[in-house]
Parts: sequence; C-alpha cells; structure tokens
Amino acid sequence: MGYAKPLPQVNADTRPFWQGCRQHLLKIQKCKNCGLLRWPPAFICSACLSSEVEWVVAKGRGRVYSFAVYHSAYQPGFQDELPYVVALVDLDEGPRMITNIVGCDPGGVYCEMAVEIVWDDVSEAFSIPKFRPLQGEG
Amino acid sequence: MLSDMTGDEAIYGHFGAAGGYALAAQRAMHEFNTGPDTWKHIAVGQRAWANLNPRAMMYDRRLTDDDYRAAKWLIEPFRLFDNCLVSDGGRACILTSVERARDLKHPLVTIMGLGQHNPSGDLQKADYLAGPTGAKIAGEAAFSMAGISREAVDACQIYDCFTYTVEITLQDYGYFEPGGGKDWFMGGAIEPGGRMPVNTSGGLLSEAYHMGLTPLTEGVMQLMGRCGPRQLGPETNTKTPEIMLCSDNGGILQTHACCILRRL
Repeated sequence: MGYAKPLPQVNADTRPFWQGCRQHLLKIQKCKNCGLLRWPPAFICSACLSSEVEWVVAKGRGRVYSFAVYHSAYQPGFQDELPYVVALVDLDEGPRMITNIVGCDPGGVYCEMAVEIVWDDVSEAFSIPKFRPLQGEG
Repeated sequence: MLSDMTGDEAIYGHFGAAGGYALAAQRAMHEFNTGPDTWKHIAVGQRAWANLNPRAMMYDRRLTDDDYRAAKWLIEPFRLFDNCLVSDGGRACILTSVERARDLKHPLVTIMGLGQHNPSGDLQKADYLAGPTGAKIAGEAAFSMAGISREAVDACQIYDCFTYTVEITLQDYGYFEPGGGKDWFMGGAIEPGGRMPVNTSGGLLSEAYHMGLTPLTEGVMQLMGRCGPRQLGPETNTKTPEIMLCSDNGGILQTHACCILRRL
C-alpha cells in the first residue's frame, strides 16, 4: 500500500481545482458577473447567484485564521504524523481554505502567522496544497 | 465513509465536530484571550452537578481543576474534559396545549420565547467562530418574544458539545463582554449554590450526549421540580426556578436555537 490517507473526492465543481493542483497551480473561482473570489468551488456565486465563472491562480500566500493540533489519529493514515496541524488559512486574495500547516513545530503555529504554499505530491493523480511558515520574501 | 461525511476536509485529517470547534476555540483565544482558565470552570462546574445526578454517566467521578489540567489533549486547544460524552439513549419532551396540560400531574411549563439564527453552511466561509454566533440574534429574538431581560433568568441549560460552546453562547446572549467569561465563571458561579446555575444535569459534558434534548429536557424537568438531589431550590442552595434559558446549536456553530421556558 502506498498513500494511506483519504484522497480527494473529485466532482464537477472541484475537478478544475485538482487539475490545477497537479500542475502546482492553486486555482480559485472568480465570479464573472460580480468579481467575487470564492472558496470552496461552487456552481453559483453566493453573492450574486451568477453561474458564470472563471478560474484564476492564487499566488499561494496567506495568514493563519485559526488552527487545531490533532493529538489523536481518527484515521490510521495520520498516526505517524501526530501531532499534526489543521488550519484555516486566509489567502491574500480573500478566500479561506482548510489545509495543513507543515514544516514547523506545531507549538510554533499561531493565528495571523504568515504562510506560503507547499505542494505534497501524494500520487500520480494528486498534489495536495499545504502551507508552511513564510520563508522570506521571494 | 469518512470522506462521505467530511468531504475533502478528510484529506487534511480534519474530522468531525471536535476539530471544527477546536478551530473556533483557537480563534477565540486569539481574539479575546479565552482558554483553559475559562473552560475549566465549565468542565468542573458541570461535573459537580453530574455528581448529584444518579443517571449521569459521570455521577460517581469527581473532577478537579488539577484533573482538568492533567488530562490529555485530543484536538488542541481541547483537553479530554472539554469534549462531550458519547451516549446511547433517548429523551422526549411532550408538547400540548396549556388547557390539556392543566389536567396532567406535573406542574405546567410553557414556552415564553423562541429564537433561531443560522449564519452559514460552510466552515470555510465562517466569520463567526469567535462570535457573534447565531446565539446573538436567536437570543435577542427569544428574549423579545418572552418580554423579559437576562436578569429574569433563574438558570441556563446551554448546549455544551464542548466547554467553549457554553462560553461563546452565554457571551453572545450578553451575560458578559468578550473575554469576560474568565471572571464571570469564577467562584463556582454555575455550580450547585452558584449565582447562575448552568447545565444542572451535568450536561452533554458530564451527564449524557442526547443532542439538544439534554439541555431542553433538563430545563423542563427542573421547572417541574422533578430533579431529586440536583433540584434547583433549597436542596442545592439556589433559587427555585421560574424562568429557564435553554439553547441548542448545530454544525460548527452554524445553526442556533434559543428557548425560554416558564413555570406557570
């Protein structure tokens, strides 16, 4: 067995996102009617109800809105990573997404911490966007 | 199965209600400096009620501040005793007309006020995790319908899936300013003999997890005077209650209902 954690359940709304991820592009939806940038992907805009949408690439930086440190593995695939950090990250572009904070001690994570994207290539089909502390201006 | 329930959150190892409420509680720690020093009063205070309730799962288990602090982390910032129980069982409340109820053997309890507010469907769009939650608007509606102020409430039965839920609900109902819970809960305020009894069965944390019916049925039974050793009144050195504030919420603070009951 290779990858032991749950994989994305791709549907019509999320397929362009996961296709982007495979190319290490963090794609989010932009409403073509009102311009709202939105996450998670949805069929219509929550602000204006338009179904006209395009995908734009977010630059992959943001801040930690909140986080939780898991000390127990509720699925066996996470056992070796305990303790691990689940976070809500506010992208610089606006949308908030759930993700992991990696590459640092869980005790060092804090709300409003600046973070940047790091890609976890977990299979031939999937790369999963995660975040790490911002490594400096690039 | 797991992914069916949590969608793509499972990719990141994010599961169930505890993870979502932990995110809410962590944000609240950042915004108004709450944390374990506030939540321990809720866990320990409710356990003191459970110790008076033979039907409570935690009836014969004491809990001290030290026990609370020494407990393992589950999903930080929650320790073991910040989390509710997992229970099998059932509760029911029978609603009928006042006229019909007058014929029954128990004292009459009526609904004075109801309010509901459901702010969002998706955790990733939630801007209310550290309040105001749906409790604010739902509470205002219920108090308005009841025609009373907070000061008229004799005791509260607050949906307590986690300790933090009790704090944010009472905060949004206006009992204290953001962060004021740390002082408000001190001195055994919610315990037997306290000035504002909260979750007098032990609640979801220490009696049993029967969803919103744990608080609601306890509110009704207290007003009827059916609670034995934990009965509000002289037995527990508290006021005999006439008005009871009950809450329920769902999702990760995404839905909220407030119900104010009165004994006639």
